[in-house]
Amino acid sequence: MQRKRTYECMCLLDNREVRKGWQPLKDAVTAQFTKHGASILSSRRWDERRLAYPIRAQHRGTYLLVYFSADTQAVAGIRRDLHFNESLLRYLLLDCPEVPQAAYEPEADFDVNAIPADDAPPPPPPPPPAPEAEAPAEPVTES
Amino acid sequence: MSTMNSGTSSGMSGSRDSAPRDGARRSKFGRFGARRREAIPEEPLDYKNVAYLAKFVSANGRIQSRKRTGFSGQNQRALASAIKHARLIGLMPFVGRI
Repeated sequence: MQRKRTYECMCLLDNREVRKGWQPLKDAVTAQFTKHGASILSSRRWDERRLAYPIRAQHRGTYLLVYFSADTQAVAGIRRDLHFNESLLRYLLLDCPEVPQAAYEPEADFDVNAIPADDAPPPPPPPPPAPEAEAPAEPVTES
Repeated sequence: MSTMNSGTSSGMSGSRDSAPRDGARRSKFGRFGARRREAIPEEPLDYKNVAYLAKFVSANGRIQSRKRTGFSGQNQRALASAIKHARLIGLMPFVGRI
């Protein structure tokens, strides 16, 4: 038996992919929902922030929050496709009984060039300089 | 270690540490049975509300107990789920503070 339900999916996107273009990436992710017959209710960027812990060597990520309605049978296929999407660092798909009103507000402008560049872990500190060769001691002259 | 066994030992009756009678349940609200007022969350217990959830996490990242939060069972379960979801998506750390 199939039954339509409303779901909420928080997608954590790789900033390296986001820099290539926000709208194509967003369309590619939402296409994975519609491919399984889901209807997108809302899809907007939630935030770009530093992660609490590094995921796939990334220290920052962009969150995309998608509200959609789909058959309960389709969710397994959506999960599988999201799992294989390499642009996604993580995703969280939850049942959502009610879509908040804020989800329907237009998305704020997003400049991908404004993303801080500290994705990669900080480089290791340079090795300490080698101690300079001490000048040869002057020969002690015997008096 | 406190005992929850039924009071079968003799000679300890009347003392403070005496075990409760058969079938009696020790009160978790204190000696005089004063009921604690149930705390109500001031903000929604949602995994996206990280700043509020962080108040209920210890310095090591552990979720505080019901005794500390004062939440009802339903809200405490919602709190635990929200924190665990926030951890999974990288919004909160598994260990340590934000």
